[in-house]
Amino acid sequence: MAVSDTLQAVFESGEVSLPADGIPTVRVPLAELLEAVEQVRGALGHSRFVDLTAVDRLTSEDRFELVYLFYSLEAHTWLRLKARTDHAAPSITPLVPGANWYEREVFDLFGLDFQGHPNLKRLMLPDDWQGHPLRRTEPLGSEPVDFTVTRKMYGTD
Amino acid sequence: MALTDQSTAAKPELLTINMGPQHPSTHGVLRLELVLDGEIVVHCRPVIGYLHTGIEKTFESKTYVQGVVLTDRTDYLNSLGNNLAYALSIEALMGCEIPARATVLRVLLAEFTRLASHLMFIGAMALDLGASSPFLYCWREREKILDFFERMSGARMMTSFIRPGGLVRDLDASILADMSAFIDAMPAYVDSYEDLLTGNPIFRERTEGVGVLTGDDALALGVSGPILRASRVAFDVRKANPYCGYETYDFEIPTGTVGDCYDRYLVRVAEMRETVRICRQALDKLPDGPVQTADRKVMPPPREELARSMEAVIHHFKLWTEGIRPPVGEAYVGVESPRGELGFYVVSDGSGRPIRVHERAPSFANLQALPRIIEGGAMADVVACMATMDPIMGEVDR
Repeated sequence: MAVSDTLQAVFESGEVSLPADGIPTVRVPLAELLEAVEQVRGALGHSRFVDLTAVDRLTSEDRFELVYLFYSLEAHTWLRLKARTDHAAPSITPLVPGANWYEREVFDLFGLDFQGHPNLKRLMLPDDWQGHPLRRTEPLGSEPVDFTVTRKMYGTD
Repeated sequence: MALTDQSTAAKPELLTINMGPQHPSTHGVLRLELVLDGEIVVHCRPVIGYLHTGIEKTFESKTYVQGVVLTDRTDYLNSLGNNLAYALSIEALMGCEIPARATVLRVLLAEFTRLASHLMFIGAMALDLGASSPFLYCWREREKILDFFERMSGARMMTSFIRPGGLVRDLDASILADMSAFIDAMPAYVDSYEDLLTGNPIFRERTEGVGVLTGDDALALGVSGPILRASRVAFDVRKANPYCGYETYDFEIPTGTVGDCYDRYLVRVAEMRETVRICRQALDKLPDGPVQTADRKVMPPPREELARSMEAVIHHFKLWTEGIRPPVGEAYVGVESPRGELGFYVVSDGSGRPIRVHERAPSFANLQALPRIIEGGAMADVVACMATMDPIMGEVDR
């Protein structure tokens, strides 16, 4: 694949792959993340920030996989950038203003610390919330619904 | 209009007010913290999360087909478009082929949903700006579209009609005939909304030059969809990265010139006309054939096969106990929702349930640009800015 070869040439220490959706994917070491984002948006022309999320791969070392998605308005292609971490990552918000809420969301729901973020506060959940619900160690919660038939069941009579 | 006379006031007194989360113009539960200097908004901070229901967490405990039901509930004005985006991601993971009839019907249904969503936008925006009659006319047409959805799926909004592998069932010839008649009548309806709003001096006074967003700012903040196109960036996923055969349809991408509230309105109105064209072409070229894939790992076999084939029974049993089991991998397929680039990032570990589903919700990114267009403007324009950003809190908070 020509695209993979180009990517491999740019990211020597990166791990290039092509998943089922056909979006070229590069995994870079966390220390080279900021540099990689600059390269993706500059030299590789994928300047439009699309998405950032995390995947909790519980059994792996450095369990959180950060997944960045960029888009090139000239070539009309997406490009995915990945980095692994166990608790913290450099913030790309100073480079990409659009990543602001995305990093806050990942901080809120996964508990990852984005160093250098201008305003790293909870976004979705209340400020005094305990825990980070999208971690796979967090159980699914439930609240008993107040019906007359459930009051006996849950002892909320 | 300044409330305090600047010459006598020693220093301007700033006033912090809350707008929302319960406010008729917030389209759900968005809260804005506004710092005012007289009538001018000097600082705006959107506060979200009031509708956070942990949908992405819930995905992880559901099978892939059960997940379809959750997608309806994120952007509830674009339920079929969300079903489509989710189905496309799973199909990319599975590598399954979709029959031609199902693909054309998907385009037709996604475009009908876009029409319904834009009708809601025009009606709600006019209502926010104080014109109540356009809302009634838009609602009249939107009801007809929802009636079609009810006739085909049984539900008006939460249809869950597009599933991985195709559609739930075929559309009746009578529904298609009525849809065709509706599409023929639609351009005249759009004309009637334009008669009420486009040239209306009060409407133009309140929207022209208000809330200008430049193309560079929009791109930097991750904005997509009609808002980006109103800011002169002609990016539409349907044209740039066609899915479901959009490259075979003849349509234009309307763009704005200034990027103000009026442009965002005009772009959506022009988009409705293009959508009508796409629907017409889809109805004209609709081929015959099945609407579900023959891939038995994705869609269950038809009922009559179960009596004759042991293999069909096994497939049926596996699908209804374990569900779809995509191979290990990940997929994101971007589609154009009425609000911008939408896509579901689905990660599979090979089991019957995803280990992660993330929705790239267009409203979430678009809402980040709201302070940019509100700050420095008048308090009275906040409502116009908010209405033209058209945020759906269901998909912002998820």
